[in-house]
Amino acid sequence: MASFKPTKIQVYPKLGEKVTQDTLYWKNYKAPVQIKEFGAVTSIDFSPVTPHNFAVTAFTRIHIYGPFSQEPVKSFTRFKDTAYCGRFRSDGQLLVAGCEDSVVRLFDVSGKVALRLFKGHTKAVHLTDFTSDRYQILTGSDDYTCRLWDIPNATELTTYREHTDYIRCGVTSKLNRDLFITGSYDHTVKLFDARVEKSVITMDHGQPVESVLLYPSEGLLVSAGGRHVKVWDLLKGGQPLVSLKNHHKTVTSLALSSNGQRLLSASLDRHVKVYSTTNYKVVHNFDYAASILSLALAPDDESIVVGMTNSILSIKHRKNQEDSKEIAGQQRRRPSYRVFVKGKNYVPKQDDYLVSKPVKQHLAKYDKQLRRFNVSKALDTALETWIRFRKPEITVAVIKELDRRGTLQNALAGRNEQGLSQLLNFLIRNLVDARFTPVLVTAAEMILDIYQSVIGQSPVVDRQLLRLQDLVEKEIDYQKDLLEVLGMLDTMFASSLPRKEVPCSGIGKSNGLTQGEPSTSKPQLQVT
Amino acid sequence: MAADGGSSSLQLPCVFSPKSRQFLALCAQDGRLRIWNTDSKTLHQEYVPSAHLSATCTCIAWGPCRTVKEGPQRKKRKSEAVQVEEKADLLAMGTAAGTVLIYSTAKGALHCTLDGAHSGGVNCVQWHPEESLLYSGSDDTNIVEWDLQTGKTRSKWKADRAAVTSLCVSPDGKLLLSAGHIIKMWDLDTKEVYRKFTGHSTAVTTLRFATTRPPDSNGLYFLSGAAHDRLLSVWQVREDGKDKNSVVSFTLTDEPQHIDLVTSNSKEEAVRLAVVCKDGQLHLFEHFLNGPCKKPLSPSCTVQMSDTKESPMPIPLLAAVLGADTRTVMLAYGSHLQPVMEKVEINTAERHVCLTRDVQTTLSLSMETTVSKVKTPIVNAKSKVLVPGLPGHQAPLKGTSQGSEKRKKDTDTKEMSIAERLGEIDLSTISEKGASKGTASLQTDNFAVLLVQGLESNDTSILNKVFQTRKEMVIKKTVARLPLSAVLPLVEELTKRLQGHPFTAVLMVRWLKAVLMHHTSYLASLPDLVTQLGVLYHMIESRVKMFHKLTKLHGKLYLLMTQMATSDSSKMVSDVDHTAKLVYEDESSDEDEASGDEGLPDEDSDHWEEDEAVEEAMTEDNQEESEDEDPDSRTESKANGEEDMEHENESEEE
Repeated sequence: MASFKPTKIQVYPKLGEKVTQDTLYWKNYKAPVQIKEFGAVTSIDFSPVTPHNFAVTAFTRIHIYGPFSQEPVKSFTRFKDTAYCGRFRSDGQLLVAGCEDSVVRLFDVSGKVALRLFKGHTKAVHLTDFTSDRYQILTGSDDYTCRLWDIPNATELTTYREHTDYIRCGVTSKLNRDLFITGSYDHTVKLFDARVEKSVITMDHGQPVESVLLYPSEGLLVSAGGRHVKVWDLLKGGQPLVSLKNHHKTVTSLALSSNGQRLLSASLDRHVKVYSTTNYKVVHNFDYAASILSLALAPDDESIVVGMTNSILSIKHRKNQEDSKEIAGQQRRRPSYRVFVKGKNYVPKQDDYLVSKPVKQHLAKYDKQLRRFNVSKALDTALETWIRFRKPEITVAVIKELDRRGTLQNALAGRNEQGLSQLLNFLIRNLVDARFTPVLVTAAEMILDIYQSVIGQSPVVDRQLLRLQDLVEKEIDYQKDLLEVLGMLDTMFASSLPRKEVPCSGIGKSNGLTQGEPSTSKPQLQVT
Repeated sequence: MAADGGSSSLQLPCVFSPKSRQFLALCAQDGRLRIWNTDSKTLHQEYVPSAHLSATCTCIAWGPCRTVKEGPQRKKRKSEAVQVEEKADLLAMGTAAGTVLIYSTAKGALHCTLDGAHSGGVNCVQWHPEESLLYSGSDDTNIVEWDLQTGKTRSKWKADRAAVTSLCVSPDGKLLLSAGHIIKMWDLDTKEVYRKFTGHSTAVTTLRFATTRPPDSNGLYFLSGAAHDRLLSVWQVREDGKDKNSVVSFTLTDEPQHIDLVTSNSKEEAVRLAVVCKDGQLHLFEHFLNGPCKKPLSPSCTVQMSDTKESPMPIPLLAAVLGADTRTVMLAYGSHLQPVMEKVEINTAERHVCLTRDVQTTLSLSMETTVSKVKTPIVNAKSKVLVPGLPGHQAPLKGTSQGSEKRKKDTDTKEMSIAERLGEIDLSTISEKGASKGTASLQTDNFAVLLVQGLESNDTSILNKVFQTRKEMVIKKTVARLPLSAVLPLVEELTKRLQGHPFTAVLMVRWLKAVLMHHTSYLASLPDLVTQLGVLYHMIESRVKMFHKLTKLHGKLYLLMTQMATSDSSKMVSDVDHTAKLVYEDESSDEDEASGDEGLPDEDSDHWEEDEAVEEAMTEDNQEESEDEDPDSRTESKANGEEDMEHENESEEE
């Protein structure tokens, strides 16, 4: 007996956004936890040591949150004015922060009062960071200077006065204790070497620089300012590599995903964009409620923390893989995985005699019913709510199969009001879907033929028919418009390519109205 | 020279230089200090304080005149003897950040900055008439005495519980008046309170000594004006301390903005007072200060100014100073950005004087208008005046001040920093407001910008908002204004959206048409047009494939539905329609009929039978058709069947 061929479900190209690895990865976060801070959140920094607390600088306070706490585990409030740029040292023990009153404060994470005060700047200090040897502090201020300080003595070591506008961002090298980078509103990013008096490399960003970021390898530098994000090659002496413009307002913050594969940029236009660092294309996009001022990622991308102008701190935690597995395990118990793979990895030796075992065919329910020629039941199965809504292509494939067999009419006939309205609903949902139209139009015509006699009996069905009519009318209007557009495009193609034949020159036949005229120009003119 | 209240933020400082009135110093809304030459009516100097946006200038005071030849380091004032060489030079500016800037007009540059003493904004600055001392009062309730030789504070004391809003040093330099919660008179030698005066309920903005201290101390008078107060009070400092209330008050039309006063030298001469109010009117008073007077005094003359248009609008006066003789007054009027200075002679016999000036259009006009009541200016060839015209100044900027250098550099750079942008926001919003009465074109311009932004950042909410427009005009204009670089992304976005439901996709087609219409030449010039638009083309093509069939289906549906509708409506009426009742079944019609008209049961029943027969025939036909079709290859038969159906329908329709 020839085996039954299961209904072929046609695979249609997906409409809309493509689901990539990235979208799956970046969508795998829980609903955000939102915490109201006292003012605009200007800076977020993760502690480099476990449990990876993070310091949130907002208005005159710095709050330290634990990885899963919704209340701050610690807060520093001894600022006289707005605090800026609270950052952890590489051992997570010390925290440094600038302030509007130009004093830089150094805190012990467990203490409350500032351990050291660094006075010397004359204006607000927006940039503070520790050097990689952990004994010095880098600061940058609105008085156009950046300075290095010694932590034990609280004395100033060096002052660099090269910038000609506010210094608002910067970063120290994690590999070399003498290197650091500052970005300023004078549109430049400068690389300094503490062993030398002057800056070593100057890069012109073109806009006031709001944020800079070093790759872990420290060969590449990313700067953000204006609407641009730019990547520079430091090893080639500050050569610009890429310039990205994917925001429509100023980019305020940058972050790297923990493995360095993805770059994130946050902007005042309320978006966070994720770029692939290999081709610098946007691979994902987050929307937030307000303009974003600061962004940080926990190690291993465990959470995404975003600070906004409306003083809300939004924390998204990654969905735990184990959680979802546990839920699945509770739902159904099955033989363990080993049972299925037993012997599967056995590689036949050369002399082995292979006995092929017929693979048992697994058939879907509707296929089983089709095999038994229960056409009506098969259609019912295909119209089950879940399939109807989630996988309309299955329903359509079954209808198509029935049509091929010539039993569609039988399958459609003999339905009560409920069954009919279900069918009509399905038609209304999917008739205008270009992938399904050919099949469903046939079905619709049949339905009309069969149930012509009962129209007017059920108000529900009548209403649905009216809706269907309305829909078809709309679709026809729309297709008329499209035909006009098609004509326009034909003209355009014809005029733009006098020498080469348009690849899609089957137009004349396919669009139904133009009567198989291969030379494109004439019918097009009619349409336009 | 004139005391100036900087406490109210709306009031912009505007001061004439002392003695010769050669200069007018003015700090306009943009935070820049401009010094105008009152003789030549030109911009003498312009200075941009480095922090003019964050720390706006709240008050200005000219220092006492000194000789220009003197080196800038030595600030000792020359003796009165060398009157000729004396020129106003130093200018003190208090800022909202608590610093005091000393600007030198001789150098055309910032002389020095005094800071570190005030924690709040400076509300008033006053020079000591003899020594090189400067007093400043601040929001932090303190008064600071600055020594200009060293640039350091000499002393600092708490003056009041509230912010110090105004200060005045007596002409002999012995006493200092300060106004905070109450008005206090300080002995400057001991820094102790000498007298207290209470009477104003609002912040005192103006303080002036009205007399030099005479030998008998009963004759010391001073003036005070307060915010939202239409009375200018005169206080007498009496030896016996019975000076609780003001002795005289002058009525004004609004709160005083600028005061000038000429003291009397003899008993026969009256004190002359010129007060410019906030509403832009000038009031002139003449009064003999000799003890209390119960009734408030009204001005001897009021001066207003209006333009020459058909419906005259008042031109606000900014400041006025009295000339040496009783009739001449130096006026400054117009906008703070470009004031007009003019010396006028006023007929004080008239109580109300209205001057008309054309400040809008004339480029040079008369200065010496004689009198009152004259509606047209009398042109004098000698003098010229600068009037508001184009933005920016024709007058050369004198000196290479820091400010001008900085601005030049800024224009060189490619894009403005945030601070600069913020500086421009005010101006731009004003200009937008001005134009906002206009047109739909502005609206669409915004849409174009919005659309470009949305396309750049792929912001769905923005795009949805734009694409939901239904107005054809808006769509056309938006597309027309779209930059070329945004055209292809727009087409891509539209391609994505065209695949949806027809209800929304219809709107997208409009956009697509508009794009194709407006950017035909651009699109046609693309070398890779086919690859760019290929997706779109195929998409449309595949969708349109079913047009034929859908139209047929629609015809079918249309027929059925109209049949139903007509049968519904004609249910009760005529016999003719009964023949067409193909689709009725017994129960429903029974119910309907029963409710509708019960009068004709017999007829109805007859017709039902007919109907049933017809129905049966129909169904049989259908079945036959389908049975016939079944063995055939499906596709062909389907087409045939449909065509048949179509014909049937058509015939039925007919």
